[in-house]
Amino acid sequence: MKKKLLSVVLAASMMLSLAACGDKPADTQSQSTDTQSTTTTTTTTTDSTPAATETTGPDARGMQDGKFVETRHITVELYDRNVDGGTEAGNNAWTQWIQQQMLERYNVEVEFVTVSRWQESDDINNLLASQTAPDICYTYNYGAIQTYANMGGVIDLAPLLEENKDLVPSMFDWLGDELVYQDLDPSAGTLWAIEGKRNEICRINTFVRKDWLDTLGLKEPTNKAEFEEMLVAFRDNADTLLGADASKMVPLSISYDVGWRAATLIESFMDPNITDKEYYVNGYDDRKFTENGTKEAIRLLNKWYNDGLIWKDFAEHSGGDDTTEDDMIKAGFVGAFIHNYDYPFRNGKDSINATLAAQYGDNAKFVAINCFEDKNGGYTKYSYSNSGDRKVFFPATNDEPIASLCYLEFMSQPETVEFLQIGEEGVIHTVDAATGAIVIQAPDDAHHDWYQNSGKNIDMTINCNGLRLSDPDLTTLSLAFSYSDVDPEDVKNAIKAASLDAKVPGSPSVGDIAAETEGTDLAGKRDQTYDKAVVASVADFDAVWDQGMKEYLEAGGQAIMDERQAAWEATYSGDMLP
Amino acid sequence: MAKEKANPVPKKKINKSYIKRYWQLYALLLLPLIYLAVFKYLPMRYIVLAFKEYKLNTPLGDMPWANVKGQTDIWKYFKTAFGNADFRRALWNTVKLNLLDLICGFPAPIIFALILNEIRLKRFKKVVQTIAYMPHFLSWVIIASLCTQLFAQTDGMVNSLITKMGGENIPFLSDPAHWVATYVGAGVWQSFGWGSIIYLAAIAGINMELYEAAAVDGAGRFKKMWHITLPGIKPTIVVLLIMNLGYIMGGGFERPYAMRNNLVMEVAEVISTFVYKVGIQQLKISLTTAVGLFQSVVGLFFLLTANTISRKLGERGIW
Repeated sequence: MKKKLLSVVLAASMMLSLAACGDKPADTQSQSTDTQSTTTTTTTTTDSTPAATETTGPDARGMQDGKFVETRHITVELYDRNVDGGTEAGNNAWTQWIQQQMLERYNVEVEFVTVSRWQESDDINNLLASQTAPDICYTYNYGAIQTYANMGGVIDLAPLLEENKDLVPSMFDWLGDELVYQDLDPSAGTLWAIEGKRNEICRINTFVRKDWLDTLGLKEPTNKAEFEEMLVAFRDNADTLLGADASKMVPLSISYDVGWRAATLIESFMDPNITDKEYYVNGYDDRKFTENGTKEAIRLLNKWYNDGLIWKDFAEHSGGDDTTEDDMIKAGFVGAFIHNYDYPFRNGKDSINATLAAQYGDNAKFVAINCFEDKNGGYTKYSYSNSGDRKVFFPATNDEPIASLCYLEFMSQPETVEFLQIGEEGVIHTVDAATGAIVIQAPDDAHHDWYQNSGKNIDMTINCNGLRLSDPDLTTLSLAFSYSDVDPEDVKNAIKAASLDAKVPGSPSVGDIAAETEGTDLAGKRDQTYDKAVVASVADFDAVWDQGMKEYLEAGGQAIMDERQAAWEATYSGDMLP
Repeated sequence: MAKEKANPVPKKKINKSYIKRYWQLYALLLLPLIYLAVFKYLPMRYIVLAFKEYKLNTPLGDMPWANVKGQTDIWKYFKTAFGNADFRRALWNTVKLNLLDLICGFPAPIIFALILNEIRLKRFKKVVQTIAYMPHFLSWVIIASLCTQLFAQTDGMVNSLITKMGGENIPFLSDPAHWVATYVGAGVWQSFGWGSIIYLAAIAGINMELYEAAAVDGAGRFKKMWHITLPGIKPTIVVLLIMNLGYIMGGGFERPYAMRNNLVMEVAEVISTFVYKVGIQQLKISLTTAVGLFQSVVGLFFLLTANTISRKLGERGIW
């Protein structure tokens, strides 16, 4: 009997799986108009003119008193950073709050589609290709959006905004016409994406171990020569500084992403009087690869590398492995590094400075310094531009563009952003008694669901990057207090250091550059050249650099620069932005 | 139960009743067949993308044929591929790494199986076998990080040992030639144990009387190995060799992708990683479909040629 029963069960399961497989093709075919909805099946998509017979009924958009008459359903992209000790990216107190607010205000159901933060473009590419991309997408890479648009995958926002401008007053208030229409193509009149705005523009800093300087009786270096002397002192005094771990000494640590991890050094070699035009023409590569002066900066790094002042194995830990280096820094083996202006303060108790303090006492910490002088003796570096952060676009599969605009409006309102950034008092922030500043703190266990998976919920405030409280003065005051478990004075100092002689890049609006979608793996070629040039022998440096640069330019880098130059000359008369 | 078992099978209607009797087994075969149909055959219709301009949200039939400024040129993406220095390098690297894999990796499991077969201590043999199989179950991501931990230039365990003993650092991962050796070595290490299973099975099928007869004639261990064991597993070796030749243009994605770094990209970029980088990351679907099609056609050519040669030489082919 057993055998018979088993065979019946097996056969039944075969049939079932056969049926399931048979269903699939038909299913995907009918999906072309249907957006991805796994959780909600009750909502039916309606035409834009429901119940048109009523006299005082809804307008042509299906809205009455600024609210949809019938519930709409939209899907929104959300980065998943897979935070250790965090909450589920797409389902936590914050996302639920957004969902509830959108339902109350607009009668719009919001469903979050999470994509990996570190592979966002791969994920979005796949979702677009399978026609299941979320209705509202965002990415840092405009070239990618342009590629999608060329393939007919993106909604032109220009006519949509024209017809529905009255729905998005807060968005225009926050971004201004200039930013909303920054990507408008002057000739075609198309607008594929809306740029976001940065409210904090500090970008990079050079950090050194304060306690090491003290132990060795050194002053904070103020120029390249002193910085090099300091690195040499770290190297030569490894026994004093690290004792038994002396062999693990790394005076200066960089990663495979040299263009970023040596940014202050590279930018100090650039001409401080560079024209806006030259900056723009070379501006496709955000690691300053083709700028005048970059080669000399890397030559200096190459010398340091060959002198044993830089982490020997940096290039062998490539792509995606940030932990090895972070762990090394947190373990206290590293003397200096260049990174995001606030890097040692990120992640509360797990931050670099908090980890060092826990092991070696409060004096053990990284402080921001300025030590790479430019040719005029200043500390030229580039901050972020206020305009242009993440770019929001609607894929062509979005059949709720108006409801999606409502979401952008909601996300642009100051109260929304303020709540997402600082939450309720006592939960994730307190008010500093002396100054009145907002002090961000990690939520306690009872409120763990209010944990912010990204700093200040940056992944949710899709067109705002950086602290933005309703009161601008309070925003400035609170900046230094927006990191938990670190000394606000160190943050203040870092902001000051990152702002000294920092230039804000201009935002020219010259239309799409077609060549930017053509090049193959330019970023990869750049990183390979940077890495190989740093580890080359001093004698080989020129050959390695020139060969890498040649390949980069041939693979499309030159075409981009040429087209950028032509576009600039067609738009502006001089070399500087008006 | 007994009644069912006694059910007699008429010999002449063997086909029909055979299926009737063993329908459960055929039912079991359905699932793999469905898998092949859904994941291997259905997607094949998208091969046509290699000759078309890929568009989002457009049915396959409505996508226009590949064209240069309106001039239809269905070979456009093949021309683009071969005009691309990155692709040519990836192609060359693929062939080079796969050939090296074949030369070093193919004999390893055979030698291992021969050695294992000579071990008389059963328990020891079992332990060795199990340990040798284990790497097969590790993903390449893990093996790659193991390699970094072991072979990194200064922090790596192996180099630390070498320097402690007064030797020079060996750039296992940062020098292109050394990296290729590390890559091939890791491949052999990962697969030789698992690959030996099929040879051990073949060895087990050899008639023991042959060995006894050889022993009577005075053959030693090596003579027996050379004249009995090896010829006994020759058909298996040939079939596997043919199948491996079919992969000469293919190869996995995980292994090169996980093991490479920026310093060795010139030898580490292979077709699969190129397709990922250009096709998935930059959404150049038509170009990479063309590359994939080219890869498959060359693979098929190798397979057919090897099969024909093998049959001409009097061995069994794979069909």
